[in-house]
Amino acid sequence: MKKFLNSFAGFLPLGVLWLSPLLAGLLAVLYGALDGEAWLTLFEHPQLWPALFLSIGTGTLSLVISALLAFWIVAGLYGGRLWADCSSLVGGFLSLPHLAFAIGLGFMITPSGFVARVIGSLAGWAVPPQWVTTQDPYGLSLVSVLVLKEVPFLIWLISALLARPDISQTLKGHFRVSQSLGHGGASTWLRVFIPQILPRLKWPLLIVWFYGASVVDVALAIGPTQPPPLSIIIWSDLNNADPAFNARGTAGALFLTAALVALALAWIALKKIFLPSIWKFFTSGPSRRRTPTMTSGLLLLFFCAVYAMVFVILCVMSIGTLWPYPNLFPTEVRWTAWQQFAMSPAPLVNSLSLALASTLAALGLAVFWLETVPEKLDAALLVFAIMAIALPSLLIADGQYLAFLRFGLNGTWPGVFLAHLTQVFAYVFIVLKGPYRAFDPRYRAVSLGLNADNYRFLWVVKLAMLKPALAAAAAVGVGVSIAQYVPTQLIASGRLTTLPIEAVTLASGGSRPLMAVFALLLAVVPALAFLAAARFGRKSL
Amino acid sequence: MKLSRRDLAKAAGTAVLLPLFPRAGFAADWVALEAEAKGQTVYFNAWAGSEPINAYIAWAAEQVKARYGVTLEHVKIADAAEVVRRVRDEVKAGRAEGSTDLVWINGENFRAMKAEKLLFGPFASDLPNFRYVDTEGKPTTLIDFAEATDGLESPWGMAQLTFFGDGAKISAPPQSMDELVAFAKANPGRVTYPAPPDFHGTTFVKQALYESIADQRLLRLPADGVEFHLAVAQLFDLLDSLHPHLWRAGQQFPQSQAQLKQMLADGELLMALTFNPNEPANLVASGELPVSTVAWQHKAGTIGNTHFVAIPINSKATAGAQVVANFLLSPEAQGRKADLKVWGDPTVLATARLSADETKFFGTSMVPGRVREPAPALPEPHGSWVPLLESAWLESYGT
Repeated sequence: MKKFLNSFAGFLPLGVLWLSPLLAGLLAVLYGALDGEAWLTLFEHPQLWPALFLSIGTGTLSLVISALLAFWIVAGLYGGRLWADCSSLVGGFLSLPHLAFAIGLGFMITPSGFVARVIGSLAGWAVPPQWVTTQDPYGLSLVSVLVLKEVPFLIWLISALLARPDISQTLKGHFRVSQSLGHGGASTWLRVFIPQILPRLKWPLLIVWFYGASVVDVALAIGPTQPPPLSIIIWSDLNNADPAFNARGTAGALFLTAALVALALAWIALKKIFLPSIWKFFTSGPSRRRTPTMTSGLLLLFFCAVYAMVFVILCVMSIGTLWPYPNLFPTEVRWTAWQQFAMSPAPLVNSLSLALASTLAALGLAVFWLETVPEKLDAALLVFAIMAIALPSLLIADGQYLAFLRFGLNGTWPGVFLAHLTQVFAYVFIVLKGPYRAFDPRYRAVSLGLNADNYRFLWVVKLAMLKPALAAAAAVGVGVSIAQYVPTQLIASGRLTTLPIEAVTLASGGSRPLMAVFALLLAVVPALAFLAAARFGRKSL
Repeated sequence: MKLSRRDLAKAAGTAVLLPLFPRAGFAADWVALEAEAKGQTVYFNAWAGSEPINAYIAWAAEQVKARYGVTLEHVKIADAAEVVRRVRDEVKAGRAEGSTDLVWINGENFRAMKAEKLLFGPFASDLPNFRYVDTEGKPTTLIDFAEATDGLESPWGMAQLTFFGDGAKISAPPQSMDELVAFAKANPGRVTYPAPPDFHGTTFVKQALYESIADQRLLRLPADGVEFHLAVAQLFDLLDSLHPHLWRAGQQFPQSQAQLKQMLADGELLMALTFNPNEPANLVASGELPVSTVAWQHKAGTIGNTHFVAIPINSKATAGAQVVANFLLSPEAQGRKADLKVWGDPTVLATARLSADETKFFGTSMVPGRVREPAPALPEPHGSWVPLLESAWLESYGT
């Protein structure tokens, strides 16, 4: 009974602050699913199947390439001189929002873009070439943006794992064992480390996959259009003024989610059958192969170069009103885009207060749950967290909006806070859960043996040892909150503006300087959060 | 091409006649309304994607504050469909006090709000300044995308499909769809249009329909009443002949007019399109396009419409909203809005009917990028054509 009460207590704050607003959103989604007409029109859509295939293809391709590159870089640099730089650099990379990165990279690779101008000025091209780069029919430019953005995310998570004293100790031991048996660094990573790290990353990997398969803003900027990924069709349906289109959008969102869940389940089933033999194929025979330090270093350098280029281009773009081909620098320079944002500080203040409050609340709720609720219930919570992330935020936010109307929460700061918490907690919990549950319970026994009570143990020992993971979760939380556009726009009802609201509405006219300013502004706050996390997280025991 | 007499009569109804024959106490009503409006805050939900437009709304806010004591808050939105959805939800939940008092709207968003009874009014014809509106010369001020306004929205500005490009690169802009095909053939890969259902893309297809259909009168009728596939056969012949010469050989299309505009500015395309005939001039003024920019419309006319402001049914500041709508119709506000140096949005008023005192607000500045020879405006086809056109386009070119 006491145990039950304990679990219930763990559930209570979460239930009030996170689960009920989320459920309100989900119920509205399910209610929409009952519309038979919507499903009929969805399956009549001529682009449905190619669009679905494109979504799953770009999501899967970006996941596989990102994971490969992330492990390649980590394996080569972990323990080396570059490792500390690498793990703090990726924090900076992470802070640039996906859309901002897509805008900057897009300007590099389009036929009238920077690369074409450099080549064109050397080769003497009078007009831009007719390359097929952005909006290529297979979505490869979309995949490249996703890969360039997800690799730092994965490295960041892996480095947070490796920074944990318990894990690094274990791995050091395992490394000695495998070295004694004649295995080189690469072999040790492949046979010993990756099989241990990968299972702990399964939820973040799932998020990367879902994100890649359902992303809207990046796909709009750089993805194919005929057919577009399914997420674009859903997005335009959900934004239509006609409720019949909205219903088709809801059905489409559920269909995409169901397809992804079915594929994930199929993977879990197939993995059991095929993975051992595949793994065996890759790892057969003893190997003295050393870790790929050189190529990893070059890869990291490539990432740095791309991010630096994108950053510089965004800066120039923000003041370059007219920048025609083949000029390498704008012909018209004005500061009007910056001035438009500088006029009122309210969006920045609101964004900051919402990000800090929702991240702190999410951390508190997550730690409270992990401390009071048995691990076997995590899976149930994860299902909801994944739904909060995977379902289009427009759907959930619209359901929340309807529920919040009854309590007069719309247009108020607490209402927007709850809407942010829906997303922020989901990410924070997923990032935190692995390291937290993997915490060695014997530390507790030792500390109780040293006469420390439970709270002292939690504060002084456990949370201190988990500092890198907590810092990583907090940084992710701040980044997620800052980027919230759809829920803020709906729940705030125009009474409260945040950075993305101001930015998206001003940029809806397609002004490139404004989009660049928005990209840079949105990057500043998370960049500070990630740098702080990198500093704070490294100073562990 | 004109609207039928019956359409006009239906739409106009009391709307036109009332201001001409003011009922007793009309002025007194308005004075009372202005008194009620004093101190109210009007949340004006308006698309905010353009700096000159935002600056104009900020100017209007200063004016109504000083003159009528009404606080006008510009709620910046990216798409008016957001507001339709929000008001619908609020009304569904029985929320008496809505978040929106005035919304910038037209077309399908208006049709949805009107059909679902989400709008306050009729009020437009009771606005004192409505008497200046050119309802005869500009019939779209009463008929919004073939939907009668019934006084539920007040006209704000005019729009007309307009093409633009760099005059240094284009010597003879195409004056019709057939000329456009020839132009694209001569400049392969340098022309395109946004993919429907993007609003501008759909408008381009509608324009092509206008220029290819045998009997334009059919477009006034509901599309389900005509042999749709027969009516659009020539349209798709036209598009079939155009697409191979477009950007990416017509296999991919930009997502939006904004992208089109950017590709023109970068030099990747030779021309772009817009619904605001003065946008090219504006882009020159803001330094986003070169001064050699030219703008043109097809000689036989291009699709034109009107944009409006409307008051949601659950507004709690209807008096203030009407005062603002009335101010936006005043010759001073309309004249400033039409100024190419301010916003350049064409007026809905009959400038010829204004007194000398009122005409002074309308400048005639000739600036680079202005449409050289304005063509007649063609009314939007009946709204029921749009979904059929969009799905037929998708069937043919979507995969």
